[in-house]
Amino acid sequence: MTRPGFFQPNGRQLSSAGILLLMAPFFMLIGFAFLYPLLSLLSLSVTEPEPGLSNYVRILDNPLYFKVLLRTLWIAVLVSVLALLMAFPVAMAMVGSSGPMAVFITACVLLPFWSSVLVRTAAWAVLLQRNGIVNDLLQVVGITSEPIRLLYTQGAVVVAMTHVLLPFMVLPIYGALRNIPPDYDRAAAICGAGPLRRFAEVTLPLALPGVLGGVILVFLTALGYFITPALLGSPKEMMIATLISQQLREFLDWPFAAALVGVLTLFVTAITLIFSKVFRFDRMLGGQL
Amino acid sequence: MTDSRGAEISIRGLEKSFGLLKAVDNVSIDIPSGEFLALLGPSGSGKSTVLMMLAGFEVPTGGCVLIDGVDCTRLPPQKRNIGMVFQHYSLFPHLSVADNVAFPLKMRGMGRAERRRRAGEALEVVRLGGYGDRMPSQLSGGQRQRVALARAIVYEPRLLLMDEPLSALDKNLREEMQLEIKRLHSELGITVVFVTHDQGEALTMADRIAILRGGRIQQMSPARELYERPANLFAAGFIGEMNMIPAAWDGGAMMLGQSDRITPPPGAFVTTPANGRATLAIRPERVQVGAADAPGSVGATLAEVVYAGAGTLVIARLDDGTELRARVPSAGLPRLSPGERIGLTLPPEALLVYAEESAA
Repeated sequence: MTRPGFFQPNGRQLSSAGILLLMAPFFMLIGFAFLYPLLSLLSLSVTEPEPGLSNYVRILDNPLYFKVLLRTLWIAVLVSVLALLMAFPVAMAMVGSSGPMAVFITACVLLPFWSSVLVRTAAWAVLLQRNGIVNDLLQVVGITSEPIRLLYTQGAVVVAMTHVLLPFMVLPIYGALRNIPPDYDRAAAICGAGPLRRFAEVTLPLALPGVLGGVILVFLTALGYFITPALLGSPKEMMIATLISQQLREFLDWPFAAALVGVLTLFVTAITLIFSKVFRFDRMLGGQL
Repeated sequence: MTDSRGAEISIRGLEKSFGLLKAVDNVSIDIPSGEFLALLGPSGSGKSTVLMMLAGFEVPTGGCVLIDGVDCTRLPPQKRNIGMVFQHYSLFPHLSVADNVAFPLKMRGMGRAERRRRAGEALEVVRLGGYGDRMPSQLSGGQRQRVALARAIVYEPRLLLMDEPLSALDKNLREEMQLEIKRLHSELGITVVFVTHDQGEALTMADRIAILRGGRIQQMSPARELYERPANLFAAGFIGEMNMIPAAWDGGAMMLGQSDRITPPPGAFVTTPANGRATLAIRPERVQVGAADAPGSVGATLAEVVYAGAGTLVIARLDDGTELRARVPSAGLPRLSPGERIGLTLPPEALLVYAEESAA
């Protein structure tokens, strides 16, 4: 009765041995390059300099570290919301266009993948510097009378991270929107719904799985983001990844850095679990689209 | 309460072009209040495009649509107060059955309690009372189509549009739903425009049928007239089975095969042929099979006999090779074997004459 979909097997089920065989290279890579270093770091955090939770107590004790954690969460939320607001119209335009226009929009969305994050972040540094184009523009328009500090601020970090992470928001939403049959919109229209109500009552709820997917991707990536905050952010307003790097490279305090990694991992895991519990993706899709 | 619940529709000179393609070409239909009209045609005939313009999903490139005398040609669908059932049900998958049915009421600002009550009533009408709390994915295809029907009639629209609503259902369910929709139509007195490519469905359900081809109306008549007196060869071939026999016409009689002369009665001429070639048409169930030398019969050679229970299909060839089919009752049919000479009687009252030549 239900068609095969994201969460429905389509009748070509593999044996567990077959699945294991297909997954073996991936599992080996994950185990070797991710799990092993992570676990050894975490064990470092509770064994050095002496066995116990002293490193974690230090994080909680110092309000400075706690503030970094809060700021990281706040920036991740801000970036997710901004990316969502920008991505949804783009995804709708992608679904609603065809031919050369569709190719053009898709190319614009995917363009960032063709250059490295470093290049894109450096570009923002050029734009936002004291005598950069943004400052020039602000003065020409008359909003400011002299160059102001844009670079090395939290604002610069948020704007640049939104830009860098935008495709990860656009693509899942695009996928969800594209799966909505056009007849739903027509059905809503003939039932008496104007364009805004059709969006609110039909399009948005049906696109929700894609929205949540995009938000999770962007939010979790933003939590641990390093390059952009390191290059564009103020040293006084660090994010957790920059703090970890500083502890590692400047103070060579591996156990404390490891404890920070532990806290970050805890956050990411907890948030993922909450998301998947609160929004039961499989149920929401229900094989219906 | 008004005495008639159905809207009066007037479609005048409707046209729709997509680039160079004219999907709908000068279609005019007047639909009286409460009529059940079927738009019948092969795919690409423009029948769905006419419906889309009635609903307001497409804007015509010419002509106009009047609903109860009001020009609605450019009115957006949400302002037309029309009920519509789609081919693939189009129930909102994130809403329960009751919320789906109540959706049009919600859009009209009706309160929650009243909405639920009216949705419950509409579900009763389609015999799905008590299904309100289920999700659409938990229903069978037939049940989903009933819910779609309930959603389309819940706000008591005066016009109901149906876009091949039964084509996704299997045969038994389809026949059951045909009767169900007919029952609803007579109960509610609502005007219905029904698009289908299934001639049987159109004949069963509709008061009147419009046959479309290439964006133009070929014929628009009640079912019986459409079957018994098709207006042209396309309509004749599209509805049911029809023998189309090319014949020579000398102004008084038609020459079939080598030597058989037939003089059709004046009533048989649907279109009047000029001297020369014409087409003689007759339904297979009107052709009688008899002995080769039966008086007044046309001589033919038996090609095939297909027994099908109550009826038997007899396929014969006239002397010039034209194939002719006869559907006769199996009871009392003598033993026939291919190659045998037989006589086919074509009753004068069953003959139809067309000026056009058939493609065959």
